[in-house]
Amino acid sequence: MSSGDLDTATVRLHRTLYTEAAITEAAATFEGLASFAVRADGEHHVVEISAISRDVDGDVVAEFCNFALANSARIQRSSDA
Amino acid sequence: MRRVQIETLDATTSTLTLSLDVGLYPRDVLYAAAYVFLDRAYVLLDRQDSRFIVRFRSKRPLETSVFEAMAGEFENELLAQALRHQVFDANQRIIEDVVAVAIGGASAGAEPAAGSAAEPALIPLRGHSELDDTEDGFLTDPAGIARPFEPGKQGSE
Repeated sequence: MSSGDLDTATVRLHRTLYTEAAITEAAATFEGLASFAVRADGEHHVVEISAISRDVDGDVVAEFCNFALANSARIQRSSDA
Repeated sequence: MRRVQIETLDATTSTLTLSLDVGLYPRDVLYAAAYVFLDRAYVLLDRQDSRFIVRFRSKRPLETSVFEAMAGEFENELLAQALRHQVFDANQRIIEDVVAVAIGGASAGAEPAAGSAAEPALIPLRGHSELDDTEDGFLTDPAGIARPFEPGKQGSE
């Protein structure tokens, strides 16, 4: 995870561990707090996060990553069932 | 090399990085173990060559000893989830059979079988003998309690 300034950040999520659907769902959850653009880059999904709200008490980017992980786990489990 | 290796631990930035061989645990187990820590830490999974990388950043400042304990706790959680996964796989057929019997038993009582006597309705239909005024005495008022309320006549009798 890296951030250029307070309003933007770039997150690299490995494609074998984070599904695109999980990332999209997490982005939809946080759409009121930041803007998200997802692209593929080799083995990773690269998520460009911009216009991060400063009015939030908490780390939007890190919470977004937690949501993406939880969604990936849920989607993986439901696809196994 | 230990099964789960502490790569970095920095209490000042509240970060802990662990690595483990991808062949040690299935991905489901890694997800389940990481999920347990989501309320306490920001967790980021990654993979480098043949190792999974697990990055934690605590949501609250913690001491180094607590981070070391967290690493051990994560390793314990991996083992617990691996066992849970194994037990589920071993008993999946039994679980499915038990659930199928339970659902089958519940749905069997929902509709009467063809040819069986009709069950009495929970709410009797109007005109049915149970609502017949001559039997329940609602309008005949044998106890004399159905008079309308009239303030001026209270206590006069």
